[in-house]
Amino acid sequence: MARLRELAKVIRSKNAGALLLTLDIMFDNEEAYRTVFNSGVLSPRRIASLYNLSDNQVEIIAFEVALAIKITIPRHTIAGSPGDSDVYGAQQHAPLFDLEITAS
Amino acid sequence: MRPIKIMAASGMLGYGFTEEGFNHGLDLGVDLIACDAGSADPGPYYLGSGTPFVSRIAVKRDLSLMIRGGTQEKIPVFIGSAGGSGSDKQIDWTLEIIREICDEQNIYPKVAVLRTELRPEQLVSKINSGKISPLGPIKNLNENDADETHKVVSMIGAEPFQQAVVEGADIVIAGRSSDAAIYAALPLMRGADPGLAWHMGKIIECGAQVIEPREGQDCVIGTIYHDYFTIEPGHPDRRCTRTRVAAHTLYENPSPYELKEPSGTLITKSATFEQIDDRVVRVSGSKWEPSSTYTVKIEGVKKLGFRTVFFAGTRDPILVSGINKFIESCQTRVERDSKAIGIEKENYTLNIKVYGKDAVMGANEPLSDQSPHEVGILVDVVANDQDTSKAVCAKARYSLLHTDFPGRMCISGNLAIPFSPSDLSAGEVYEFNIWHVMECNDPMETVRMEFIIPNDPPKERLNG
Repeated sequence: MARLRELAKVIRSKNAGALLLTLDIMFDNEEAYRTVFNSGVLSPRRIASLYNLSDNQVEIIAFEVALAIKITIPRHTIAGSPGDSDVYGAQQHAPLFDLEITAS
Repeated sequence: MRPIKIMAASGMLGYGFTEEGFNHGLDLGVDLIACDAGSADPGPYYLGSGTPFVSRIAVKRDLSLMIRGGTQEKIPVFIGSAGGSGSDKQIDWTLEIIREICDEQNIYPKVAVLRTELRPEQLVSKINSGKISPLGPIKNLNENDADETHKVVSMIGAEPFQQAVVEGADIVIAGRSSDAAIYAALPLMRGADPGLAWHMGKIIECGAQVIEPREGQDCVIGTIYHDYFTIEPGHPDRRCTRTRVAAHTLYENPSPYELKEPSGTLITKSATFEQIDDRVVRVSGSKWEPSSTYTVKIEGVKKLGFRTVFFAGTRDPILVSGINKFIESCQTRVERDSKAIGIEKENYTLNIKVYGKDAVMGANEPLSDQSPHEVGILVDVVANDQDTSKAVCAKARYSLLHTDFPGRMCISGNLAIPFSPSDLSAGEVYEFNIWHVMECNDPMETVRMEFIIPNDPPKERLNG
């Protein structure tokens, strides 16, 4: 058992436009990528619960050629509108760090 | 087809590049020097106010070198999304800098100006004929939204750049543009495979993001051959790596496999990436699906009013332990105190964020139950006019500073205020109200093109 932060090289968040937030998890070796991918932990349900969303608002795309997994979710506030706390969306990644990954 | 070489000078005009990288790039024999100058990432203020988010000094330095290089090599120079958001006002700001440069370099280039700002009333017939649809989770537009819009720009594709070149432009200064189109336009008009041209454009638009070591921005060169393209750094001591190039399609995109452009969609599903030597990556297999309708993205903002902010910290352990309840009680008090001076709750928005608690992630914060030893409190007030926002902010400051809380001992003040004046006017506030796509009859529909020679030629030249 390992936490996602111990297996990944990059865990980052950023706006994908003013309405969406995209979370990228990138690996520097294929084994770590496969372990995480096959564990099924990065599921819409799990991500939805971390970000207070419903399952159908979460899109998860594996991008094997770059050993990366991309998660795209709606922003809670349009970027830069009153009440927004993160105009660039660059600091919304932390809840992913401690996800427990169990080898399947 | 002979290879076509495109140099992206920097990931953002004004973020800089090394002269060594730039000159080495020119030595390779490039066909175009281009740079993206815009982004919507800094938020709605820049489009709303027409203010650039990079400095004039930095933009002038980058443009001077690019224009000198273009003149020297007799190749065009393209700038897309001029001034940050590509509004008319930001284009004029860029042209003013170009005038100075042309004067200093004693040159008389033909400059094509592609204005892509729309008048909000231009949207009405498009709205009524169902030609505008949301680009993500945002509501459909109606006529009222068009009325409320303060500024709106259309994001153009490759065709207007091509039109400018056909008509003899040496320099193209464009309003809001698709990042990739700035770099794909020339290869496309010279017969390059569209899948390769768009993918190359998408990869080089962020400049040095694909370069190692990462030491600030720098030039990147894409070269398109018959059935593949290569990516390499301008700087001889830096290198592009397969991982960085492959990963770049992830960046700021909702999907790495499909990238929507005005005239079609780039499909990277079957793209392959190979490191062919220390510095160069080869990409092939990218596909292009042309679209039957031409669509441009439109970005618009409405004006919300004026902002006043106040920031302070508290180190009182009793207050910190009950901070959420305290903030709630202050919010109620601000409402009451504002009403007492004639400001109704509907006339302002008040946001109070507690840094050290959950200010960054709000309701998504997994550790919101933990108690730090000190917290920062940010008060953010937006109202129709600056005076109202100042008045509400002052009530909030007073309330946070002097309101009682259970067990309070620090009765001379709850806050450490870091500066004087404590309340800062942050000026106009805008909100993105348009983040949509609009169907067009042709690629030039949202473009106003004009040609100028930014520097008056000397008399003898005219007479001669």
